[in-house]
Amino acid sequence: MALKYVSEYRDSQLAKVLIESIKEKIEALHSSGSIKAKKRLRLMEVCGTHTMSIFRHGIRSVLPHTIELLSGPGCPVCVTAQKDIDAFIELSKQDNVILTTFGDLMKVPGTFSSLQKEKADGRDIRVVYSVFDAVEIAAANQGVTCNCNQANSANKTNQAKEVVFCGVGFETTTPTVAASILMASERGIDNFSIHSAHKLTPPALAALMETPATQIDGFILPGHVSVITGVDGYKDVFDKYKVPSVIAGFEPLDILKAILMLVTQQISGLPALENGYERAVSQFGNVKAVQIMNQVFEPADSVWRGIGHIPESGMRLRDSYKSFDALKKFNLELKDTPEPVGCACGQILMGLKTPEQCMMYGKKCTPAHPVGPCMVSSEGSCAAYYRYKGL
Amino acid sequence: MDKNRILLDHGSGGKIAHSLLKEMILPLFNNDMLSRLDDGAIINIGTGTRIAFSTDSYVVDPIFFPGGNIGELAINGTVNDIAMCGGDPKYISAALILEEGFSTDDLKIILNSMAEAAKKAGVFVVTGDTKVVPKGKADKIFINTSGLGVIPKGVNLSGSNAKAGDKVIISGTIADHGITILSSRENLKFDSDIKSDTAPLNQMVKRILNQSLIDKRVIEQSPTDKCPTDSSNSASNFNYRVHVLRDPTRGGVGTTLNEIASQSNVRINIWEDALPIKDSVRGMCELLGFDPLYLANEGKLLAVVSPESTNRVLEAIRQDEYGKDAAIIGEVVGIENSDKPLERSGVFLKTSIGGFRIVDMLTGEQLPRIC
Repeated sequence: MALKYVSEYRDSQLAKVLIESIKEKIEALHSSGSIKAKKRLRLMEVCGTHTMSIFRHGIRSVLPHTIELLSGPGCPVCVTAQKDIDAFIELSKQDNVILTTFGDLMKVPGTFSSLQKEKADGRDIRVVYSVFDAVEIAAANQGVTCNCNQANSANKTNQAKEVVFCGVGFETTTPTVAASILMASERGIDNFSIHSAHKLTPPALAALMETPATQIDGFILPGHVSVITGVDGYKDVFDKYKVPSVIAGFEPLDILKAILMLVTQQISGLPALENGYERAVSQFGNVKAVQIMNQVFEPADSVWRGIGHIPESGMRLRDSYKSFDALKKFNLELKDTPEPVGCACGQILMGLKTPEQCMMYGKKCTPAHPVGPCMVSSEGSCAAYYRYKGL
Repeated sequence: MDKNRILLDHGSGGKIAHSLLKEMILPLFNNDMLSRLDDGAIINIGTGTRIAFSTDSYVVDPIFFPGGNIGELAINGTVNDIAMCGGDPKYISAALILEEGFSTDDLKIILNSMAEAAKKAGVFVVTGDTKVVPKGKADKIFINTSGLGVIPKGVNLSGSNAKAGDKVIISGTIADHGITILSSRENLKFDSDIKSDTAPLNQMVKRILNQSLIDKRVIEQSPTDKCPTDSSNSASNFNYRVHVLRDPTRGGVGTTLNEIASQSNVRINIWEDALPIKDSVRGMCELLGFDPLYLANEGKLLAVVSPESTNRVLEAIRQDEYGKDAAIIGEVVGIENSDKPLERSGVFLKTSIGGFRIVDMLTGEQLPRIC
């Protein structure tokens, strides 16, 4: 596979044009008195990948100071509830289990430990880049029984192992996890299971709008999620709250363009749901992926770290796929656990505080010694702020 | 984070690795030669002769990868560490730790590669050791190499020598080794032209030192030049215009530049558009979410050079077989001259869209066992 770099979306001349247009429009907004008492335009990038890209390309440093970019609740690791982290840790301690996970989860502190520490203590915890790798590990560890045909089991080890996958992520990830379950089901791989802490994006946007203190003037909507949900995925939320919303890609020009579109909406006074990422996102999204996701999972109430309980914002396995539910398989229960005292991750994820306003930021909580999940994930706003010193 | 056990992060070359060094190792062993924290120690053995002495262990996984294997990596890595101290590497030791059951065919391939790499670099393996541990107590093969090389008179290279006005040169494309190891790992298969850049850099360093010495003679004839000589150097007949040489291995260019900025207490500005990165490597980094600034190189060096010698040193590097893609990627700025909010030492990147950001030292592992 040849990979061509997307330099055209980082073109300095085009960037200049966009930055100048944003500056002109912001000045126009000021002179018309449209930016009210608070004097700042608060735009939230919902997705952690946007947060990273904004820092990585120094986008804040080229914008007018009156545009405030807030990092939203779109970093999957950051919003995973502590009780789910504890459940992953508990699963890794079960006999004969290989726990498979995306790398970002390794360092997230649970109540007493983290997957990284459990691994140092000898648990079999493996980082995978795709859930399908976890299925293959399961296939290779199905074990051989006395009655088994040896010839068909050449690549199987003698000792059967249970392979558990940590299901974390939004609409971008959940369909692939659903597909992995269908695949395991078809191939009769019954030593594979997941614990689902999957989340849905639109209910989180609604929760943000139901909290008036957030004062969000516009959403930069996540490009990856929108590839699956399409523009239509946000229609209900937009119709209800009428907040300017633009779907954006992840290259610097994509983000600058989305900001320009949001500023333009402010000037016109006509909030709209717009697609600024036409090269990837369609009106209806990936219908097949959504169908697979809904075949295996169903919406359920879910706890978001720091934010709390949001109705119908999670995805749980449907009854017909309950045999893939790791907690059921090992007879474990989710236990409610208190979150670390003093951690402001919740308020940060809702745009109510910046990382610097958390009393632990940079002191007790650093990337080397994280307290809250926003400091752990490379996409977490605290980690991004820390790494780039808020620039 | 739990401080009672060693995590993979402690071997990353990043911040956590540095804290292990500073909290547990330096207090026990500290001396003038160790505390410089350069790629190797510089030892004065009397009669004005100085030698560079360096050691490194190689645990790369997988042991065979596109562009090389653990054997040549082990020779080249130590050759390069000595060369970065200004030493002319000559004598190498090699110790093998083998896992019971390891294939002798694979061992033959690795030993042949070591022999070829030693020949190419012009070094002799003069002592060694072999240990075998029970199956499961090591992973196939680990190699330790140490090496010695005499430092020519007048050469004074250290991460603490960077001065305001100096330019920063990289000798070629970055991140090749790190992304190669990542993509050759089990479960991550890509067809791509990328391969490790493992190579001996001692000939390139000779070219650089020769060029900067010629510079001194040329510049001496010009009465207008008032550049101060290296204060720590008594041999006033020599004045090399190269202040720092480092090979950005583990932790990549970002981490190595941070070490230099911290050791020299300066700010280093680099330009994103100037960084030489292969398209395939850049694409893979985008895909997997890695920052090429933090990925390892095994055949590249960073040179911090006086501005008046920069172009000639760049030309000298480009004439070397491993330096064709060399480029000037940044400059050293004194801290007192900086504008807010940048009044601190560190590394800053001017992005291609005209913004800027901090390039911090890596906190933990971005990629385990890359060398």
